[in-house]
Amino acid sequence: MAASIAPECNDIKEKYDTCFLKWYSEKYLRGNTSSNDCEELFKNYKGCLNKALKERGIDSMLDDARKSSSSETDAEFLKKS
Amino acid sequence: MKFFENRFTYDYSFPAVSLAYFLRYPNPYSRHVLTTDVIDRYVDPNTQRLHTIRIHLKKSKIPSGILKLLPKGMGGSDNSGQSYILEKTIVDPKEGWMETESRNMEWTGILSVVEKQLYQRLPSGEDRLALDGLAVDKVSEQTTVKTTVTFRSRLGQGKLLGRKKQDTAGDHADAEEEATRKGFFSSLSTAGIQRTIELIGVSRTREAVLKSKEGMNIVLERLRSGGVVGVLEGMRQDREAAFGPDGPWKRVWLQGNSKDRSIENDGK
Repeated sequence: MAASIAPECNDIKEKYDTCFLKWYSEKYLRGNTSSNDCEELFKNYKGCLNKALKERGIDSMLDDARKSSSSETDAEFLKKS
Repeated sequence: MKFFENRFTYDYSFPAVSLAYFLRYPNPYSRHVLTTDVIDRYVDPNTQRLHTIRIHLKKSKIPSGILKLLPKGMGGSDNSGQSYILEKTIVDPKEGWMETESRNMEWTGILSVVEKQLYQRLPSGEDRLALDGLAVDKVSEQTTVKTTVTFRSRLGQGKLLGRKKQDTAGDHADAEEEATRKGFFSSLSTAGIQRTIELIGVSRTREAVLKSKEGMNIVLERLRSGGVVGVLEGMRQDREAAFGPDGPWKRVWLQGNSKDRSIENDGK
């Protein structure tokens, strides 16, 4: 499994990843799309990760990047040129 | 602006390809990918589509060809050799497609690279089905992927460097301002510099797209022969081969020693 950017989150990430892969391949792709087997694990993983991202100052960069959807960027670009 | 487009067909079913996409790191062709994290993931209650946002940390540096075009002090000082990539995906298992979008989060003013992919289930030809009679051979299922990469440099356009790490953003803006005052950009055509930077991006992307295809094929082959367990075992071996049994994170925060091993890569 790919490692987390935050070493302290690796264990919980691995548990979540394993859960997700099982859910995705055995349930979601087979039509059982409303199940959410991994919600609890994801919450724990996210809690660990968000703390790490904040500590490393990546969170604000992430917010900016998430806001700039491609359509906005294109519109902005067209306005300028 | 420059574009790169590529079409490819995988000899695997759509569910396998979409699973492999989420599972693609690490693989032997992804040694430059250090970490992967899931930022957000949910199933849209209306469409039942799965939305995922991930952040990847990759080894990459500004190509020397681009560095040469930048005023001194810009780009060079904080070229840590690592960059963050934001990846968004949407999967529709019923309709059999997956959309992906990956973009660099830093240096977007120098060069913004946005890679979009559309994976689609290729309907297994009805004729073939009829000819084969009771064809249950899943191997005949295929998935097409269309990759489009857009390159845009805004260097010298006042948009500056986009965003680099917070603590250094000021320095870079200053560097470009100063360069502009000194007439750096007026001595060379701004459009010419932008075009050159975009073209360097395109040429590096050709190789990167090929490599990522090879990586996907390895993950898919592992899936076919060993299922998810087979992929995970392969990953464990790749990880050890790439980073040693301690894992990659020791390297992630040890900056400065990656020079000799840096793969000048895609930045996607």
